[in-house]
Amino acid sequence: MSGVSMAKTYDERSIWWRVAADFLHSRIAVGGLVVLGIVVLAALLAPWITPQNPYDLLQLDVLDARLPPGSHSSEGGYTYWLGTDGQGRDLYSAIIYGLRISLTVGVGSALIAAVIGTLVGLVAAYAGGKVDALLMRLVDLLLSFPTILMALMILAYVGKGVGNVMLTLVLLEWAYYARTARGQALVEARREYVDAAQGQGIPRWRILTGHILPNCLPPLLVIGALQIARAITLEATLSFLGLGVPITEPSLGLLISNGYQYLLSNEYWISFFPGVALLAAIVAINLVGDQLRDVLNPRLQK
Amino acid sequence: MSAVLAPELEVPTLEVRNLQTRFHTRAGVLPVVDGVSFTLGRGKVLGLVGESGSGKSVTGFSIMGLVDPPGRVEGGQVLFQGRDLTQLATGERRALRGNRIAMIFQDPMATLNPVLRVDTQMIEAVQAHRRVSAEEARRHARDTLGRMGIPSPDERLRAYPHQLSGGMRQRVAIAIAMLHGPDLIIADEPTTALDVTIQAQILSEVQKLVRDTGTSLIWISHDLSVVAGLADEIAVMYAGRIVEHGTVDDVLDHPRHPYTRGLIDSLPGANARGARLRQIQGMTPSLLNMPVGCAFAPRCPHADAACEVRPEISRPRHEAPWHQVRCFHPQQGRPAAPAAPRLPAAPRAPAANDQAPPLIALRQVAQRFGATPPPGVVGRALRSVGWNRPPVVTHAVDGVDLSVRPGEVVGLVGESGCGKSTLGRIAAGLLRPTEGEVIVGGTPAADFTPAEQLAARLRIQMVFQDPYASLNPRLRVSRIVGEAALLHGLTDAAGLDDYVCAQLQRAGLDPALRHRYPHQFSGGQRQRIGIARALAVQPSMLVSDEAVAALDVSIQAQILNLFMDLRDQLGLAYLFISHDLGVIEHLCDRVAVMYLGRVVESAPVAELFARPAHPYTQALLAEIPSIEARGARFSAIRGEIPSPIAPPSGCHFHPRCPQAMPRCRTETPRLRGIAIHHASACHLHDAH
Repeated sequence: MSGVSMAKTYDERSIWWRVAADFLHSRIAVGGLVVLGIVVLAALLAPWITPQNPYDLLQLDVLDARLPPGSHSSEGGYTYWLGTDGQGRDLYSAIIYGLRISLTVGVGSALIAAVIGTLVGLVAAYAGGKVDALLMRLVDLLLSFPTILMALMILAYVGKGVGNVMLTLVLLEWAYYARTARGQALVEARREYVDAAQGQGIPRWRILTGHILPNCLPPLLVIGALQIARAITLEATLSFLGLGVPITEPSLGLLISNGYQYLLSNEYWISFFPGVALLAAIVAINLVGDQLRDVLNPRLQK
Repeated sequence: MSAVLAPELEVPTLEVRNLQTRFHTRAGVLPVVDGVSFTLGRGKVLGLVGESGSGKSVTGFSIMGLVDPPGRVEGGQVLFQGRDLTQLATGERRALRGNRIAMIFQDPMATLNPVLRVDTQMIEAVQAHRRVSAEEARRHARDTLGRMGIPSPDERLRAYPHQLSGGMRQRVAIAIAMLHGPDLIIADEPTTALDVTIQAQILSEVQKLVRDTGTSLIWISHDLSVVAGLADEIAVMYAGRIVEHGTVDDVLDHPRHPYTRGLIDSLPGANARGARLRQIQGMTPSLLNMPVGCAFAPRCPHADAACEVRPEISRPRHEAPWHQVRCFHPQQGRPAAPAAPRLPAAPRAPAANDQAPPLIALRQVAQRFGATPPPGVVGRALRSVGWNRPPVVTHAVDGVDLSVRPGEVVGLVGESGCGKSTLGRIAAGLLRPTEGEVIVGGTPAADFTPAEQLAARLRIQMVFQDPYASLNPRLRVSRIVGEAALLHGLTDAAGLDDYVCAQLQRAGLDPALRHRYPHQFSGGQRQRIGIARALAVQPSMLVSDEAVAALDVSIQAQILNLFMDLRDQLGLAYLFISHDLGVIEHLCDRVAVMYLGRVVESAPVAELFARPAHPYTQALLAEIPSIEARGARFSAIRGEIPSPIAPPSGCHFHPRCPQAMPRCRTETPRLRGIAIHHASACHLHDAH
């Protein structure tokens, strides 16, 4: 067959390889990916690249409070390149550690929500009828409340803390995945390959998980990327409002909140630099998510 | 006839010289149209024929100046009445487009705007090139629809596109193209998506229009038979080049290029019934790495060292100097096929064993889909107080008896909406009929235990029409083929790989490809994967639902041969569903003709094609385009296929039947025997 050698020269790999190749075609998206990589790497390596552990109260010196960027520490050990906050924390260290919390909360809640939501969506599509109607009305109900209001209500009930913030975010976010997964599964269920699988006597649950689910993943992946950014923003908002993480372990939102009372006295850096870090992380995630959406859009696929 | 291609004194309507259109893709530059030249005189019809990827549509788009990026017209001239279109400014070109040059596309739903009424769109099209009042434009639109032979044009003008049938939509699209009486129409497969009877109507209308107005027409098609009936000249394209060009009679009766000859020879009608079809080996080369010389050489039985140089145009026939061929080894004589007498081949050994119990028998099977119509505002209000409209019932299948014996090939023919696909899905166990009985291997399906049901399901496998949608894009071929066999214990995990290889080999695919994903295969190869998947569960019958309809002619012949080989090797029975009577006639032992959910005639294939008894069958047979039927001939049966939601009373066919009697309107004819094995449902049979 002359077709054998021909077909081998291009596209030997799976769909995901093609997606990766397409993804790298946008410079902006690659830029976003690089920024995201730096942010994630910084968060992972926090203890080794920071001069100070901002959560260790013994390392903080109240005399160093609210020093401008570039000041030296009173003990002369190191330079506060981004200044210090009201408790004398090195802002550079605090931001890196804060990124850690923000990313953990964002990625963790998005992942858990994705699993739960996809499961619920598939069950709804599979069961149909009353179960479907019930689950989807629940989704509608959740999505119809203002997010912040819901978050405040839940957090007021369960209390502060990183775990509780994640729980809140999961409760708020699973509905998005559920709705998408259900819609996508219903579309895929009408495809001929599902008929073919049925005709081969493959059990329904297996068709659902082994055949339909892989085809539902691209849109879920896109939602996942954008929801991570949303979760980080939401966590920052909640921390800013004083309902998020404890004050001894500040996330980016809390750092911003701590600094904003000093903004008017020209001590901009306490809010500004955490804000920039938050902005960079979220913009990077959104850029990557947008490009994923374009690349995975079935209409653009060949 | 001799003047067709001879130099004419007047300026030809269109002259294309060495047209080059390339697509700049990430993978490389594709020479999609690679040096196409032809001349089209006034009032002439050129059939531009080729398989998918041959560049025929892009040629049409290039002439129109409608090639989308990454494609670009990069060389050559398009002389329209002496003016080079490629040199015109965008505005000048636009002034010609839709006015002097018009285009008709394959999918009228995509050409017509779904949210605008037909009159809005037509008035806009008139006013784009003429400064007339809306009133006048509307009158002109109405006249044009009338000239197209569209009944009650006022009603059509008020309709939205979705309210019209497919054939009517295409007529409207053609009418829009005809609005300004253009000098040139380019039609890109406009009847491919339509039913045979509707296609015949449109072909006859287009033929009449072209003849009356002196419009030149380029009819792009993959189907030689359609073009044979319509065109004055045929140009055959392969891999971006015209390989043969001449009058219809020249090209079809004296094909000189091996590719043209292969195409003609691989038509079922050119082969003895039931015999293996002569096929062209291999598949169209990728435009990315084309052979340096003749693009057809890798598939050509006559290729030799000379073919490594690109062949130029030659004129091998002294008696027809306008007949052009791009080949070093032009063939002699007429095509090999004994085209006219279609004698049945020697009866096959296991053919239709009358004694064996049927593999599957359908008894008075009916499938009705009920749906409450979506209520309007008033309906909603009424429903809230408890008033409900009765559901609208679609009679997809309406009381059908059908059985398939071991080793038998049963054909199911009919136009869209006749319920043949639904019946196929019932037979394959994918749908449970709302009425009637399905008997598999002697046991009614209703009495099955779950294990028996699974066994019955595996015994009858389905091969689907769409080679793209029927394979899961996220799974490797090895899993697509092997999953069910492993699950049902037909092989164990250790033997799975060998098992999958064996199935692929049987389906004519290289087993080395089993770790690929479906998108890495061509349409024909994908269909083979679908067949391998079906074979993997060791069925005794395949339901083929238009399995070759989406394939190119040369590939179609390969797949049909595969079906016949499997029948002979494995003793498989088939329920072969198709709208293509040529394919049915070639392959089947027995044929059932369906119309609006009912079987109207059933007979052994030779009997049915020799002595069709039902008027509908007779009409269908008369409408098959074939390469033997040339020139004006389309004797359309009138009217459209009625909706299965509200089928006509009595005999469903009576509104279109040329021999309808008053009785047909009230009384439903029963299917009854009129000869041995021959049954028909028509009141005419009572008269004698």
